Amino acid sequence: MANKSRLKRAEERTGYLYTSPFFLVFAVFGLFPIIYTVWVAFHQWDPFGEPTWIGLDNFVALADDPRLWIAIRNTFSIWILSTVPQLVLALFLAWMLSHSRIRGNTFWRSLILVPNITSVVAVAVVFGQLFGRDYGMVNWLLTVFGFSPIDWVNGTLSSHILISIMVIWRWTGYNALIYLAAMQAVPEELYEAAEVDGASKFRQFISITIPQIRPTLIFTVIVSTIGGLQIFAEPLILDGQGYGGGVSRQFSTVTLFMFEQGFSRFEYGYASAIAIVLATIVVAFSIFNFLVVRRIQKA
Amino acid sequence: MFSKKKWLAVSAAAASAALVLSGCAGTESESSSNAGGSSGSSSDSNQKVLQFWAFGDMGLAELIAEYEAANPDIKIEMKVSDFDPHHQGLLTSLDSTTPDIAAIEVGYSSLFKAVSQKFVDLAEYGAADMEGDYLDWRWAHGVDLDGRIFGIPTDVGPMAVCYRSDLFAEAGLPTDRDEVSALWPTWEDFIEVGGQYVSATGNSFLSSTGYVWNAVKNQSDEKFYSADGSSLVYDTNPQIKRAWDLSVAATPIAANIGDWTADWNAGMNNGAYAVLTCPAWMMGYIQGQAPDLAGAWDVAAMPEGGGNWGGSQLVVPARAKYPAEAADFIKWVLSADKQLELFKAKGQFPSTVAAYSDPELLGFESEYFNNAPIGSIYAEGVNTLLPLYEGPKERVIDTEFGSALGRVANGEQTPQEAYDSAIEAIKRDVG
Repeated sequence: MANKSRLKRAEERTGYLYTSPFFLVFAVFGLFPIIYTVWVAFHQWDPFGEPTWIGLDNFVALADDPRLWIAIRNTFSIWILSTVPQLVLALFLAWMLSHSRIRGNTFWRSLILVPNITSVVAVAVVFGQLFGRDYGMVNWLLTVFGFSPIDWVNGTLSSHILISIMVIWRWTGYNALIYLAAMQAVPEELYEAAEVDGASKFRQFISITIPQIRPTLIFTVIVSTIGGLQIFAEPLILDGQGYGGGVSRQFSTVTLFMFEQGFSRFEYGYASAIAIVLATIVVAFSIFNFLVVRRIQKA
Repeated sequence: MFSKKKWLAVSAAAASAALVLSGCAGTESESSSNAGGSSGSSSDSNQKVLQFWAFGDMGLAELIAEYEAANPDIKIEMKVSDFDPHHQGLLTSLDSTTPDIAAIEVGYSSLFKAVSQKFVDLAEYGAADMEGDYLDWRWAHGVDLDGRIFGIPTDVGPMAVCYRSDLFAEAGLPTDRDEVSALWPTWEDFIEVGGQYVSATGNSFLSSTGYVWNAVKNQSDEKFYSADGSSLVYDTNPQIKRAWDLSVAATPIAANIGDWTADWNAGMNNGAYAVLTCPAWMMGYIQGQAPDLAGAWDVAAMPEGGGNWGGSQLVVPARAKYPAEAADFIKWVLSADKQLELFKAKGQFPSTVAAYSDPELLGFESEYFNNAPIGSIYAEGVNTLLPLYEGPKERVIDTEFGSALGRVANGEQTPQEAYDSAIEAIKRDVG
């Protein structure tokens, strides 16, 4: 047919109509701010004047700014410490929930999601107290077992571990449920056949489960990369005295650095430049991770 | 009826929902509030609700209640935030939804002076007549370069030393406040006494080295900016260098507890440290944190005297909903007699000059602080105060030095390294 039938055109129109609310909202609240941020990044702008065009000066200054590089280092360190254990743990939990005969399955599945719905700020405050230098419970436990107390917040690696613990605590259950759903879709016959061939449980997991849930694995890796590189609330709360991420910026993340420049130094242009740098890093690293995980054998 | 399984499922769901929803419950906002008691949802359409943004505890709850009682059509709702977020939030709000009244601390007054046109000129509401009531240099914080009056002063913060007389006794130090004041005419003496305390008791003398830094940097007529505000002198001002050196020297006698943290509050009670810098407004704070230690805290003079810490202006943003009512309230609550009333109730020291010769103020003794004559102690301090220019990048510079001191306290950097890195960071940020 040379022309689309009228019915088809009507269908297309309805299709656009149904999806347009999302795109309208996205255009206003998603796309426009992004474009505007890019525009601001090429200006110098504070509350005391009008935006002035300065071209690439913000980016040049950023390249030279040790605070950015410290923040990048911290961000990646926290990402590795939090994302890798989290996903491995989530896989394990999902495997246990799908293949063991525990009673009250629904209860356990609900329970592991509870950390995800708690308030980020409240969690950071509580964990900050638990890991407090003088009065924290964790240090008390350490001394009970004969170790010396650690100044969690003031050390670089220790503060990264502390933040990672919070992130792992929050997101493991969420990822576990996603993996669980994927695992439930794996046909039982595959496992039975492997059983017959004499494969161990572990071998079944590696050779059947993982390849079968490969798309889900890719999804969780990308999402946790995007999220994990933008950790903000936990470092903010841990440093009670400002937005620096500790007295030596030991746990300052790129998002926190951006917030500091934008809302306490009021350098909107510089902060926008940091935002663009962050977005670039996130996109690049997500693509990288996607390519890595894609190498898992297809099912 | 439902099967047993269904009931089990339903009750499990209800229990989980209850658990979840309790986690979602919003916390009470930190506002002190409306002494009227009822929740703001008034059906009285004539009632005007003024939004008042503040930081810390300004102690104004009773005065607000008094004002509301006298003006039934006005209700004032306070929103209290942390110090820096409060000012940052206020700045960004000036172009959108502003409160009717806000407090701006003197450290931020230069920053806001740069956007003073976003505030109401209170001279339109008769504030110019009030100028003579206040200390000149405090009044000047609220006047911009064009002579517009954008803020009226609240209190001043002349400084003294609050000390735990009971802990001093344990350490074999004198406890009478005059004798204690005589122990430390200079900061070097102060640090030496601290050393004696530490060797005698094994506990820290100060909460942090920031204590010394905060006091000494405010004890001259120049801080980070030159006196006329035209240039930055943070790296050449000898007072700042002295403040740094003294703070570093105080490292062995300090506990490395950050100011305004939970541990710091606890320390007022549990003896983690024995002295605190006390500008007048700190007294109310200590009383709130350590109500059971009445009589154990006392007040002595500050080494090398002088120095002001804190104080604010109350301002009315130009976009306020009820500017006239807000201006009226400000003029009322900051008048000479109200400031005196506030002092007697909460300890905020008036910036109104008449108060300093008021016999009630001079004779005022604080029961909590072992009947110390805080009225006359602070009145003496006020006379030695020098106007001190605080510029727009005040907080930025202060934070860098503060972090540097923190790194020295953690042992991460030597004092010289920390000082150099602070100067470098400030140069990068400020110039």
